[in-house]
Amino acid sequence: MDKEKIDIRSLNVWFGKKHVIKDVNMKIRPNAVTAVMGPSGCGKTTLIKAINRLNELIKISRTTGEIFIDKQNVYGKEIDVFELRRQVGMVFQKPNPFPKSIYENVAFGPKLHKMANDKELDAIVEKSLRGGALWDEVKDRLKDDAFSLSGGQQQRLCIARALAVEPDIILMDEPCSALDPAATAEIETLIRELRQRYTVIVVTHNLQQAARISDFTAFMYVGKLVEYGLTKNLFEKPENELVEQYITGKFG
Amino acid sequence: MVRLLDSGLDQLTAMVVKSGEVAKKAVNISFCSFMDGKDTIETVRSLSDKICFLTTEIEDKAFELIVKYQPVASDLRIINSYMKIAYDFERYGRYALDILFAQNRLAEANKCINSTDLMNKLIEKVYTMVSISIEALKEHDGEKAKTLANIEEEVDKLYFSYLERLAEMTERNRTIMCNLLVVRYLERIADHTTYVGEAIVYVSSGEKIRLR
Repeated sequence: MDKEKIDIRSLNVWFGKKHVIKDVNMKIRPNAVTAVMGPSGCGKTTLIKAINRLNELIKISRTTGEIFIDKQNVYGKEIDVFELRRQVGMVFQKPNPFPKSIYENVAFGPKLHKMANDKELDAIVEKSLRGGALWDEVKDRLKDDAFSLSGGQQQRLCIARALAVEPDIILMDEPCSALDPAATAEIETLIRELRQRYTVIVVTHNLQQAARISDFTAFMYVGKLVEYGLTKNLFEKPENELVEQYITGKFG
Repeated sequence: MVRLLDSGLDQLTAMVVKSGEVAKKAVNISFCSFMDGKDTIETVRSLSDKICFLTTEIEDKAFELIVKYQPVASDLRIINSYMKIAYDFERYGRYALDILFAQNRLAEANKCINSTDLMNKLIEKVYTMVSISIEALKEHDGEKAKTLANIEEEVDKLYFSYLERLAEMTERNRTIMCNLLVVRYLERIADHTTYVGEAIVYVSSGEKIRLR
């Protein structure tokens, strides 16, 4: 991988005395979907939250190492964390729309970042909802409460909300685990589309989902990056026996 | 830990091994009959049909396992390879039948004694390859499977020597035509044993190689 969007170097993360990420080195390609897999508690979520420095919201966390996005160290002193979190958006496990209208959910970020006036805001909302593959379904009811949407629509709204602040990178932490199969299919299709414009990193417990949607897959175990490579190779012929055991269900 | 997939894989393995054993039996009867001039075509036809039936069953089982369990890694390699191997065994059986068919149509069975040294060697080597391919399958032994490459080279040499010998002959008769077809079928069986070998290497190590 010679061309990377994100370059993680010697990353270590502790929560108190617990060492949860252990010397991870990883280069992540732009315009690709990278899946992060591994057993519960292996550090998948902590790894992706290190990219936009969300771990820092936990007071007992401590991070060493470097993460470069476009050659800029996100742990450098000059970094504006507020701006970093605009550049690196995040979608969580359960759809978490704000208790506001559909329109306001999407407009919230651009307003916060003072990215647009009212007229420009309309265009951003439309563009973001189109990007989230939701526009056609909600264009006539933008003022409706976001909670009136179905689960899959709510998650696409959250993706549209992340897109509204024009990020480069989208982190997704098990984005389909609370959705039914139809809504999951919608989100998976959307993730594949998003990779054309964004660098997407998805944490998932669902092996088949990782195989379906990702170009590259990383496998983590007790805080270490055990194997990382093309998804096709990892699912056809994993190099590490632990990965073989995990993905074939022989683990434990 | 026993997985739900494991019992399905065990069943699939048993079916493929059975298909291999039936194919080996068909090849053995065919070769012996060809050399001894016996007419056993109906026995071999019945065995060949049995292999075809098993191939369909293997495909059905493989699809069932894919649909139910979405296998990956070594499980997926096994299922994919077993489907290919089942087809190769079907070809063993079909060529075994073709040999006797050529003998029946072109030469009177009891007059078609083929004890030439080259034909003897060819038959012996091809039968050895069939046996090795089935043993390697049972043991998932990639190293044993790789030994097929050398024997296949020897078979090719014998095949072309035999063709040269036939080409040099001025005489033309039905037995010669029969033998021409038979050496071709033998060479094809040998090729299919190497396909089985390649599939076994893939099962055991994930390595994609060519044994020809």
